[in-house]
Amino acid sequence: MQEKTSYTPVRTQRPRRISVFDGQNLKKALLAGAAWLEVNREAINDLNVFPVPDGDTGSNMSATMQAAIREIVDSDDTSAATIAARVAHAALLGARGNSGVILSQILRGLAAGLDKKQTFSAPDLALALQEAQRLAYRAVLKPVEGTILTVVRETAEAAQMSAQRGDDLVTLVQEVVMAARQSVARTPDLLPTLKEAGVVDAGGQGLCTILEGIWHYVRGEVGATGVAASPVHTMSPEMGVKKGRVTIDEEFGYEVVFLLRGEKLDVEKIRQAITDMGGVSTVVAGDEKLLKVHTHTERPGAILDYGVSLGSLLDINIENLQEQSLTYAAESEAEHAADQDKPATQQIATVAVVAGPGFENVFRSIGLTAIVPGGQTMNPSTEELLKAVDAVGPEQVILLPNNSNVMLSARQVAGLTSKTIYIVPTETMPQGIAALLGFNFEADFESNCKAMTEAAKNIQTAEITTAVRTAQIDGVRVREGDYIGLVNGNLAIAGQDMEHVIHESLQGMHIERYEIVTLYFGEDVTRQQAEETARHIKEKYSHLEIEVVDGGQPLYAYILSAE
Amino acid sequence: MAVRIVTDSTADIPRDQAEAAGITVVPLTVFFGDEAYLDGVDLDNAGFYQKLSTSKTLPRTSQPSPAAFQQAYTRLIDEGADAILSIHLSAKLSGTYQSAYTARDTLPDTVKKIPIDIVDSQSISVGMSWAILLAAREAREGVGLAEMKAHVLDRLARTRILAVLDTLDYIKRGGRIGGARALLGNMLSVKPIISLKDGEVVPLEQPRTRSKAYARIARLVQEMGGVEHVSLAESDDEVGQQLAQVIKTVYAGELPVYRLGAVLGTHAGPGTAAVAVVSAKQD
Repeated sequence: MQEKTSYTPVRTQRPRRISVFDGQNLKKALLAGAAWLEVNREAINDLNVFPVPDGDTGSNMSATMQAAIREIVDSDDTSAATIAARVAHAALLGARGNSGVILSQILRGLAAGLDKKQTFSAPDLALALQEAQRLAYRAVLKPVEGTILTVVRETAEAAQMSAQRGDDLVTLVQEVVMAARQSVARTPDLLPTLKEAGVVDAGGQGLCTILEGIWHYVRGEVGATGVAASPVHTMSPEMGVKKGRVTIDEEFGYEVVFLLRGEKLDVEKIRQAITDMGGVSTVVAGDEKLLKVHTHTERPGAILDYGVSLGSLLDINIENLQEQSLTYAAESEAEHAADQDKPATQQIATVAVVAGPGFENVFRSIGLTAIVPGGQTMNPSTEELLKAVDAVGPEQVILLPNNSNVMLSARQVAGLTSKTIYIVPTETMPQGIAALLGFNFEADFESNCKAMTEAAKNIQTAEITTAVRTAQIDGVRVREGDYIGLVNGNLAIAGQDMEHVIHESLQGMHIERYEIVTLYFGEDVTRQQAEETARHIKEKYSHLEIEVVDGGQPLYAYILSAE
Repeated sequence: MAVRIVTDSTADIPRDQAEAAGITVVPLTVFFGDEAYLDGVDLDNAGFYQKLSTSKTLPRTSQPSPAAFQQAYTRLIDEGADAILSIHLSAKLSGTYQSAYTARDTLPDTVKKIPIDIVDSQSISVGMSWAILLAAREAREGVGLAEMKAHVLDRLARTRILAVLDTLDYIKRGGRIGGARALLGNMLSVKPIISLKDGEVVPLEQPRTRSKAYARIARLVQEMGGVEHVSLAESDDEVGQQLAQVIKTVYAGELPVYRLGAVLGTHAGPGTAAVAVVSAKQD
């Protein structure tokens, strides 16, 4: 990948005016936008208001963008509509985090605006941006100004004015970028938390960065194989993007995914051939030059050999599902035995986003159907959530996001699955546990949705972690490396002394009103240390019953719940 | 016509009350190690819980032998019974029902043939005791077997048992887990609420604390609407009183309290409290 990156940008002499772009131009523009976003990913991560080591905006948006462009990077299609539609679809599934979901809606709006257009002009793009801002606002229940929403709205307005003036594409994109920059700069005036933290909105900056990348292309600053041609490497393991691992028992054999490039590829014929070779749940999608194949099989070799006979294979990914499902074979057997004469209520599955092996055990022990790993380190993509929902047996699924930044992706799933789905808006894992404990095995879907939502509200959560940057939020001054305590997601206390931070957090939870505290210790804390912490808490609050549980969560030394 | 009522010791009807009502109670057996005790006969409730807390080994339980049932049936027939209604705990939880069945079908020819109807209550403890006590009253009033049996089945169908446990451990160890097997348990301490459905243990909810569990049970009682009768079974006074207090906030009627016997004590564990709610007849 590295050598493809051009160290000296190709400065081709471009005409000053461009009146029309086709699909290939759009593709290159989006690749340039994605590449520029990736270059600036860490800088955007640093803009996060909260100094907590969570799924950061830069990483989420970049992962979403990379998922989007993977679908077009090898496409020769010259239709703008086709390129935009493919990008939009891929972004929808690949969206991570709230910012990723909003970005995917912007791309969807763009695609809707460019529908049926082989090529597009400046006024077309202005209209498409209008559609993009409309869908972005619609993705959020309570739109907040001073965020990416404001930025997309103001850029759409700028595009419209530019188009009305009769500007060409080069000028329009320039206007758009200028408007985006100004809009981003104003976000702290609209959102006090940003002002206090002394940062601009990260999501807005992310969008602005993509637009800047596009502008580079439009101005001719990146060549056809410039920076933009090296996007795929960002999905490598060092970025920490975990492939969705859905632990359910139906899976077997290997999951095989690859891209196939060739000539006159016949989608139907290839799907049939793979199915005949023993491929299960086979999906073959694409056109006669490039296809994506996704199948489950016992013998991946045969299918890859077949692929090679048709053309060249790219992006091969093989995962052993047997390995994962064996772990849970015993459990699933027990479940199946119990399933035979189940009341209707057993037809409800529960799916949760969970980080940490200990938390996974806790969730399973109280009856969770399937787990989507992630949440605190990396927000799962919409596709990972969708896969989990579609993979469980029952047609009615209750989804527990357990993280405020997974909420929008979870809501996207509702529109993508044919199943009946309800999202209990849990923002922390203890809330998810409380919700699951409120599940009534005899009640129907609706009553359970209601009861679980209620149950999640009756619990207080405190999270103890280490600040990853210096910041000031809600009047609390935080220095990098400080221990910080978040109560129900809000920063409550920062300091050098962990004990003190825990006690202040407990105060913030109004601990005197509760009877039981569960102390989940993270992967970097020993049980002995946790027991010691529990003893100290008990010394101060003798009325409390304290339970110490191995959560195994990354980054957060302790997660406490009170009920 | 004299119909006589037989049940087993898991009905948790105290000995003197059973005697007064003319109910014959066939005991199950509780083993502590190699020592066998007849439930409620050799071992009273106080003695059982005392032993449970001090014994190193966990007790096991065993259904009455067919011979024990034959003995009971024969005695009642000899006393002049015209028919017997024998009501037992859920056949899915114990072989007691099967044992009674075998006893009836293998009664020696020397014993006079009378109708003996055996009922699988699909319940246990207070979940069946109210129906049994009313049947005994009807027996004294001279109601016939068929009518009495119909009343018992109807009442059992309207009875719901709700129990809060200290832990699922005991019920799992005894293998009486039924639908609760989906819960692998004890990563978190919860006070599970269980019920019986079609004679099997089913989990209902998993509150973290006793007070929440009691509140949930009270709410479930309230949601049942019209109530004919509520009774309570406890493994000790403390948990019984706590639950009774909460139930009284939603139910104004009489609330008899029984002690959970050794068999249930073994399978549900200490700290168990249960209510049986008989909903009012709909018509």
